[in-house]
Order: sequence, then C-alpha cells, then structure tokens
Amino acid sequence: MWKKLSLRTRLTILYAGLLALLLTILGVTFFIDTRNLLIENTASHIRATAKPIIEHWLYGENLSSQAIEGTKKKPDSKYLKKISRQLARDLTSRNVVAIVLDKNGKVIANGKVLEEEPAPVSPNPFYYRRAFSGENEVTYILSTDNKNVLVLLIPLRSAPGSDHVLGVVQLSSPLTPVERILYRHGLTLAVGTLITLILGTALGLLLISSALSELRHMIATCQSITEGRMDQRVHLPQRSDEVGQLAQAFNRMVERLEASFSAQRRFVASAAHELRTPLTALRGSLEVLMRGAQDDPATVAHLCHGMYREVLRLSKLCEELLDLAKLEISENVQKEKVVLKEFVNEFEEQARVLSQEREISILEGPSVSLKADPNMLKQILFDLLQNAIQHTGRNDRIALGWKLGDNGVDIWVEDNGHGILAEDLPHIFEPFYQGKKVSECGEHHKGSGLGLTLVKAMVEAHGGSIEVRSEVNRGTTFLIKLPFE
Amino acid sequence: MTENGFDTSCGASSGARILVIEDEDTITEFLKTGLKYEGYQVTIAKDGVTGVDCAREMEPDLIILDIMLPDKDGFEVCRRIRRRDSDVPILMLTAKKEISDKVKGLDVGADDYLTKPFSFEELLARIRALLRRSGRAVDSTELRVVDIVLNTETREVYKGGKKVSLTPTEFSLLELFMRHPRRVFTRETLLNRIWGYDYAGDTNIVDVHISHLRDKIGDKPPCLIRTHYGVGYAFYPGEGK
Repeated sequence: MWKKLSLRTRLTILYAGLLALLLTILGVTFFIDTRNLLIENTASHIRATAKPIIEHWLYGENLSSQAIEGTKKKPDSKYLKKISRQLARDLTSRNVVAIVLDKNGKVIANGKVLEEEPAPVSPNPFYYRRAFSGENEVTYILSTDNKNVLVLLIPLRSAPGSDHVLGVVQLSSPLTPVERILYRHGLTLAVGTLITLILGTALGLLLISSALSELRHMIATCQSITEGRMDQRVHLPQRSDEVGQLAQAFNRMVERLEASFSAQRRFVASAAHELRTPLTALRGSLEVLMRGAQDDPATVAHLCHGMYREVLRLSKLCEELLDLAKLEISENVQKEKVVLKEFVNEFEEQARVLSQEREISILEGPSVSLKADPNMLKQILFDLLQNAIQHTGRNDRIALGWKLGDNGVDIWVEDNGHGILAEDLPHIFEPFYQGKKVSECGEHHKGSGLGLTLVKAMVEAHGGSIEVRSEVNRGTTFLIKLPFE
Repeated sequence: MTENGFDTSCGASSGARILVIEDEDTITEFLKTGLKYEGYQVTIAKDGVTGVDCAREMEPDLIILDIMLPDKDGFEVCRRIRRRDSDVPILMLTAKKEISDKVKGLDVGADDYLTKPFSFEELLARIRALLRRSGRAVDSTELRVVDIVLNTETREVYKGGKKVSLTPTEFSLLELFMRHPRRVFTRETLLNRIWGYDYAGDTNIVDVHISHLRDKIGDKPPCLIRTHYGVGYAFYPGEGK
C-alpha cells in the first residue's frame, strides 16, 4: 500500500508526520512547563500570604499579651489549640481554605465559614506526617470529582527554625483559575500547531513537487524515447544536485544508446548492401539462363561458375556475421594457456603456404605464455596475414613477431606493401568499410569487408586492443596488445 | 511490369550498343551474356575512368552505370559523360534504396535507375523504354514476315491482309519467333519466357499452343514454325513459301 503511493505523497506524509511529532512534543513540553510554573507560582503566593499570618499568631504580640503562666514566651500545643480557630480563619480566603491539625493528625480548626469559600479536603496522613516531621515545603495536588485541588502543608514550630513542631496547617486551594489559564493556553497551542502543520504541509508539498517536477519531466522524456524518439534529451537548468547528476547520467546513457543503435543500423544497412551484390548476380544469372542461355553449354558453365563464386561469397559473409554475433557473448572465448613461441612455430608453416612467394620472417620475442583462446588467436594472426598478403606484391616482405608490453604481450604483423591512406586509417576496422585503393594489386581481390572488424572484435574479446600504423608505399604494421590473463 | 508478366516484346533486332560500367565480375558476366542474347552489342568498362573513355570512343546507344565503382562514384561518372554527350540514355544501378540516391542520380543526369537486386526482365523493359524515348535504335512496332504483319502496339496480327484473332499467349509466341528468326527455342525456354519463370506445368502446353498458333495463321508445310525433334521450335521466314 505504502509502496504504491507516489513519491510525492510519501514524502509529504513523512514530512507532515515529522512536523506534527515535533510540534506535539514542543507543545506538550511547553504546556507541562507552564502548568508547573503556574502551580508553583500559586503555591508560593499562598505560602507568602500565609507566612506573616502564622508568624503573627505564633510568635507575635499575641503570645506576649496572652502570656500564659510561666515565663517562657514560647507557644505550646495548648496555646495552639487556643489560637487555631482564629489562625485558620485568618488564613482562609475566597480561594484558600485552611485547617489546623494537631500532632495526632486531628483537625482542631476549620477556617471555612462563608458559603463561597471552598471546602477543605481531608488531610492525607502520608503528607502531613512528612510536614509534622519538619519538612517545610510539602505540596501536592489532589484530584477529586474532576476537580484538582492544590494542597500545601506548613508545619507550625514552637519557635522559628525549631525542630519542635506543634501542629500543621493545611492550606487547600482549587486549581480552577490555573486550569482556566492552562485551557486557554492549550487551546492556543493546539490551534497554532494545527495551523503550522497545515501551512507546513502545504509548503512541503510545494517544495517536494518542485523538486520532483524534474523527475516527472524525465519520466515524460523516457516515455518519448521509448516511443522511438532517440534524439530526445532531458533539459534541466544547470544544477549539481542528485537530480542534476541523474539527468546528466541519463543523457549520457541515451547518447551512448543512440550511438550504438545508429551503429547497429549502419551495420545492418551495410550488411544488406553487401548481400545485394551477390544476390543481383545470382538472380540475373538465373534469369539469363532461364531465358534461353540454358541451351548453350558453354554459357551455362560460365554463368554457373560465377554463381558458385557468389554463393561462396554469401556463405563467407554469413559465417563472419555469425562469428561477429558470437563474439558479443564473451563466454564464447575459451581461454587456455598458450606458449607463444610454440604457437607461432606451429603457425609458421601454414603462413608460408599462404604467403606464396612473399618473404615471411618470424622474429621471436621473449618466451612468454598467455591465456587466450588458441583458435581465435590463430584466426587473428591468419586474418592479419591474409590482409598483409592482399596488400603486398609477390616479392614483398611480411614479418611477424612479439615483445613484452605493459602487463601483456604485443604481437605485431608488418608488411612493406602499398600501405593505407591516412584518411582511410581511422575507418579500416569499421564493418564493410571500402577504402580508396592506393594502387591495384594486380589480382582483383575483394574480401567480405568484415575481416578486420572481426579481428578487432576477437582481440577485444580477449581484453586486448589493436593499433595500426601505415604509410603509403612504405607498408603497414598491426600491433595487437594482449593481456597475460 | 512484374517479373513473371508476359513481356511480349522480347529482344531487339536493332542491335543497339550498350556500355555497361560496373566492377562486379559476376554481374558484368550475366549482363553481357543476357544482353547479347537479346540482340544487343555489349561493352564492359570496369571502372569510372575507363567508362568515361569508352563512352567517348564508342558512342553507345545506352549506358548502364553502377553507382559504386572502385575509383570514383557513379554520380561523378554520370556528370562527366553528360558533359560530352547530353543525349545518351543512362540507366543507373543503385544498391541503396534511399530516395536521396535516386533523386541525386536523376539530378546529375541519369534517365532511370534500378535497385539491386533487380529482375533482368525489368532491366530489359527499362532498356527498351529508354531506347524508344531517346529515339535511338528503336524497336519497330510493326513486324513483317512474308504475308504476316504483327503490330506490337495494337497487338493485332494480319495474315494476307485478313485479321487473325490470337490469344495473348499465342501472340507472344508469334512475336518471339518473328523477332528471333531461325533461333531454336527449347520448350523450357519458351515456358520461362512466355509463361513466366515460376510456371511449374508440363512442357506439353507449349506444343498445344504452337499447334493452335499454326492453325490460326494457316501454317502449312513447309512450315514457318518448324519442330526440331528433341530440341524445340524455330521460325524460318525465308523458306515459308
């Protein structure tokens, strides 16, 4: 379900969720803080109001004027009992009600007199014992009947700072005013959060949309490329972020694809063109035979000979096309250890037969072995030799040799024949490329136009590379760089 | 014109001279053989320079020019020939199917083009059309042998002034014989040329049609159309009477 949503929706939901979480945490923290502050404030206000009253009743003039028997001007429980009513009454106001507890926890005075004054809450032994043992700031909140009441306990000491506690005053104040403020506060916070969330989400959606709009543009471009318009590119304003990088990478990929497609098209067109000539000859010869030439044995022999040649040419073309197609799959290269010296020696005899009167020399290099497909290696050397033979006269020289190269072996085939024109040189490995002929080699030899293409493909299938140097009327050198592995 | 259509105007007794400029041996060989067989005089030039020279020296009635030549391309050759001789019909052979090549060919002065691989029969038809258009070595549309008059345009045959009604096949047979007097045609050749290359029937059909044709033109011994036993048929106009 989540994965089915568009990236924009997902990002917006994530963004809004994160925003809501942050705002909620912030709001709740703020709310609790405010609440604590308000309660503390109320508590200290009540304490501040209560302190002079308590001091007045316990240690003030009252004590001296109503001095009891004995000389000690110190209040005791009896005195406390006496004054507790007035003390509680004085401590009670519209918001606060006071009760006085003796050391047994018994209520000895209740300050509530008027109707509008809040009712006191019953004392909690846990808290008042703590106050009784001398703890000054015992404050707690009691929740009853959906109402929160703030309860403060003040120990009554026989003298200021004395450990002797006579009793405890319990002041209780409903938290309604604080809660009203908090409610307003909370409402403001909630509404604020909601508005911020809505605005934030809208803004986020806008930002994400604009960030993703280029992706949508790329999707549209992809679709139009899929429909066959390979010249399409993603046009984005110059930007170096991920989207910009994606667009650049995408454009490079399409460029590469377009180049390889058009190379493929050119190849197919050239291949079809190469097929046309033998087909024309075959078709024409057959028609001429059927139109009557079949009745003349000499003509039949002549035309059949030509047709046979064309069929051979077609077969060779087919084979080479198949070889080329096979090379696209690297698994077809079956590498094994080849000791170069032995390999070339084996090859030498066949080379001599092929080269006829041409002088062929093998220049042995260092003894090395490499991993290669022996059949392909033989084919490579054979094709290069064939090529050299085609471009040399009968008394020219051909040389083959090898030397150590960078991280591999460099094998070269050299001739002192007609050479290749500089303008043809960059194209000779292209399929079916027919160069301008430097000079006629006497015998009119025409290859399929795939020989050198195949050589290059075989060398590259081995992870190697091929280079060619040539000078007109001086000769040509092919250099194959093959890696050891 | 389809490959197997009944191309009835088979050959040229005119002996028009054709220059073929083409470097592929097998193609020049069959063109030479085939065109000679149709009664043309054929000269072959294997590259552009030789082609231009030949065109100047022999003044051919028609030039067949391949676009892909070893030394220069056919367009250039065509331009050079046109510079000297503005009239000679030039038929271009192209291997590319692209329109631009055809347009370019026609622009530099070629009169027609054929795309490889082409049908030889179509080539013959184009050659005849070009020769007719140029007014050189025209095939006559009216053939006369003894008292038989055959008009290739109206496709009518008169024998001694009286109209003879022939089927298309019979007409084609008669035209072929009249254009190639004394040539012996085997039944297979007649089948290929009249019925089409892919006709797979019995050769007896040739005998049936020849027999009908003889009846219609009132061919009595010594016959105009004679049977060469074990070989085929030939037409002997001189000894007809």
